[in-house]
Amino acid sequence: MRSVAVVGTGQTKHARRRDDVSQAELVREAADAALADADMCAEDIEAVLIGNMELFEGRGLPELWVGGGAYGTGKPVMKVATGGTSGTSTAIAAFHQVGSGLFDRVLAVGFEKHSEGHTQTGMALTDPFWDRAVASGALGNFALSVSQYVAAGHATEDQAALVAVKARRNAARNPHAHLQMPDLTVDEVLASKMLAHPLRMLDMCPQSDGAAAIIVASDAVAREHNPRPAWVKATATRHDQCYIGDLDRRLLSMRTLRDASAHAYTQAGITDPVRDLDVAEIYEPCTYAELAWYEALGFCEAGEAGRLVEKGVTSMTGALPVNPSGGVLSTNPVGASGVIRVAEAACQIHGRAGQRQVERADLALATGYGVYAWADVVVLGSEP
Amino acid sequence: MNDRVERLDVPILMDEAWHYASGEAMERFSTGLAARRIEALRCDGCGRRYLPPRPMCGNCRLRMTHWVAVDDTGTLEAWTVVHQPILDGRTGEERPSPYGMGLIRLDGADTTVNHFVQTGGPRRQGVTPPGPPLFIGQRVRAVWREELRGAMDDILHFEVVEP
Amino acid sequence: MSTPDLAPLGVAGVGRSGPRISDPRSIPEIVLEAVESALADATCGYDDVDAVVTASVDLFDGLTASNIAVTEVVGAVMRPETRIAGDGLLAAIHAACQLWAGAYETVLVVAHSKPSMAPADLTPWAMDPIHLQPLGASFTACAGLQARVLTLDDPDAEGRWAERAARLSTLAGRPTSPAEVSASSVVASPLRERMRAPLADGAYAAVLSRGEASVLLRGAGHDLCAHSPGDRDLRHWDGLTRAAGRAYAVAGIDDPADAFGCVEPACLYPHEEDLFTAATGTGPDTPVSPTGGLFGGAVPVGAGLSRLVEATRALRAEPSLRRVLAHGTWGPAGQGQALTILEAA
Repeated sequence: MRSVAVVGTGQTKHARRRDDVSQAELVREAADAALADADMCAEDIEAVLIGNMELFEGRGLPELWVGGGAYGTGKPVMKVATGGTSGTSTAIAAFHQVGSGLFDRVLAVGFEKHSEGHTQTGMALTDPFWDRAVASGALGNFALSVSQYVAAGHATEDQAALVAVKARRNAARNPHAHLQMPDLTVDEVLASKMLAHPLRMLDMCPQSDGAAAIIVASDAVAREHNPRPAWVKATATRHDQCYIGDLDRRLLSMRTLRDASAHAYTQAGITDPVRDLDVAEIYEPCTYAELAWYEALGFCEAGEAGRLVEKGVTSMTGALPVNPSGGVLSTNPVGASGVIRVAEAACQIHGRAGQRQVERADLALATGYGVYAWADVVVLGSEP
Repeated sequence: MNDRVERLDVPILMDEAWHYASGEAMERFSTGLAARRIEALRCDGCGRRYLPPRPMCGNCRLRMTHWVAVDDTGTLEAWTVVHQPILDGRTGEERPSPYGMGLIRLDGADTTVNHFVQTGGPRRQGVTPPGPPLFIGQRVRAVWREELRGAMDDILHFEVVEP
Repeated sequence: MSTPDLAPLGVAGVGRSGPRISDPRSIPEIVLEAVESALADATCGYDDVDAVVTASVDLFDGLTASNIAVTEVVGAVMRPETRIAGDGLLAAIHAACQLWAGAYETVLVVAHSKPSMAPADLTPWAMDPIHLQPLGASFTACAGLQARVLTLDDPDAEGRWAERAARLSTLAGRPTSPAEVSASSVVASPLRERMRAPLADGAYAAVLSRGEASVLLRGAGHDLCAHSPGDRDLRHWDGLTRAAGRAYAVAGIDDPADAFGCVEPACLYPHEEDLFTAATGTGPDTPVSPTGGLFGGAVPVGAGLSRLVEATRALRAEPSLRRVLAHGTWGPAGQGQALTILEAA
């Protein structure tokens, strides 16, 4: 693939309810921010990709209505939807479309406006014959997988609570984040309401209204529009079988993320991720998942993830800051969440992450997680 | 934000009903349930016995035709007690909580079934109150509805088998 | 934007299941048949495929993340799968981008839908919920609006469309007379029931590759117009004109009037063929839908890919056709447009 880079990023203010804007206006807010960041105007954009899980809003083909908000009118537009990985898949699709040579400037925008629909209804539309009668949403499914992770001795509830504290404290330095809790403590996490044993309220991601956009450009255009483009070093996608019961000990095995990251590390020349990567923005729908992903991503040996967070290795001042943005635990507009991961990783490379900027970000990781175990991995770097 | 601006809200009720085809494998499985029989499809490539039965083993990318019998007893491989009200995807009604849920590996199958698990006293109105702690490895058995209808909720829930 | 210089891609195999008006099988069963037939046609197996691009729409399938139902049967377990939530021809165009980018050598494209699952028209849920859905707008209503606009300057249009619908139905194996079409019930005035290609269940699949093949994909383009019919000049399919311009630039076509041995538009109604011909600049002598087009069964989401499958078969059977245009459209009054250009090697 020819060299491709993220040259601009933009996000809305994410919140429980953004009733000051329509879905199209929400998307416009992110698109405008990304265009300004890339020093481009709407006319410069040659094609648009949109990521969204439309049944959460009770819609179909939402790009027909919302595409104009993304400056898609009169342009090639496609919509990508792969559950939680929708946003990272949308970003990867943009990389491929620019990589093809067909376009030099593509806008990729993900959005979700959970407050305008009924997310639980959307989540409940699972296999009608097999588990629709018993399915208990993302919460129930995660609780089941977490029970195995805890039983295997890979994490304690205190270690999980540390992840919750890290996320919400980091989010306090991110002006876009939904949940900002600068003073959150482990005790408060452990005292929060039990939702599905062992998951408490503060172990889980929120539902947010929000949109995020990135502008992807080809080599020469990228250099023209950003002094430090975030070059695409590697991408990998792995999907898996579709029932939760198909995936043995999901959090402990996580074969999709393991395989995708191994593939991406090889492409990007990464041999020791904690040493080689400068920052990671990973899609962690609950605290325990972040710990499990550390293992799958090779940040530590199996069973060591809890100690990694205890030692602060993944804190803002650690060897590999994970989710300076506050992550999905602080902000989760589903169709946008993956775009946010890529936008945050790119923003770090650009050196434009403000108060959440890590020192010397030359190599950044972004991941997506969806359905029961689908995984996307993206590596961005300061050199093509 | 300007307080004098009244925000317009356009409420639309979505009330769509789809008719889903079960597929051949699920049809045989459902017919079996009506006779308190559980059957899985086995992959001739890897030998994995699949619940729910489906046309193809995604790991081996082979069509499956080999049916095997599965018991209604099994081992709890994962569990939780859900305290949050969750929608029932068929009725749109909120399910009373708390209730127990588990992944159960039935004897004779290799994948697990996600289903309600009784964690305490008698089940009332679909509610399973929290009771003695569940643990991975616990033996469980299906509690069947009296009048079977050939659907997954012919199994009301799984109950713990006392050792 | 410069004209990209893109290598021709091979259409190594095509397959389908259906179209059937009401298929009793499940979606995975329908999709599996289409995939197996495409792989057999390409004389390859699942192991020869590097990546999959699927097309499905959750609202139509009544399933969240609707590609989960087909991930196993398309062979995407532990593979890269991208799901385009839209017309299958977009999925083919995205697969072409992946191949042009050099990301993969062989990509499987699959699109499905099963309109018989839904008792009612679901397209109002794809209309602007603030301004249009509450008015009862749907894709059908917008098609009627567009057809009505065309009749204003063309008083003979309705008779011509009835003849065209009868001809297409007959070509598709359902002998029909223009009188029968004109006598059928009104769907959205001036459009009548028998003027509409019958909705059908089905799945389509194609194997695209960077290797040699008897049929080549030479160009592609797509476009999205303004959503509201009120924001557009309904006398034209401007989006298709733009999409065609992009595809012609890639394929190096200067004179579309003389470029195609036949064209395969994805027209649900006969008036759309007028819009298609004008927008693409294809000549009056170019044969259109020689096997009846969508009148053999219109599978939403699958429709555009079905035209690529049909065009590939036509070029294989008759290489002297040289070049065929395969088209897809979706949304109200042709809001979304896509086309691909296929050539005999």
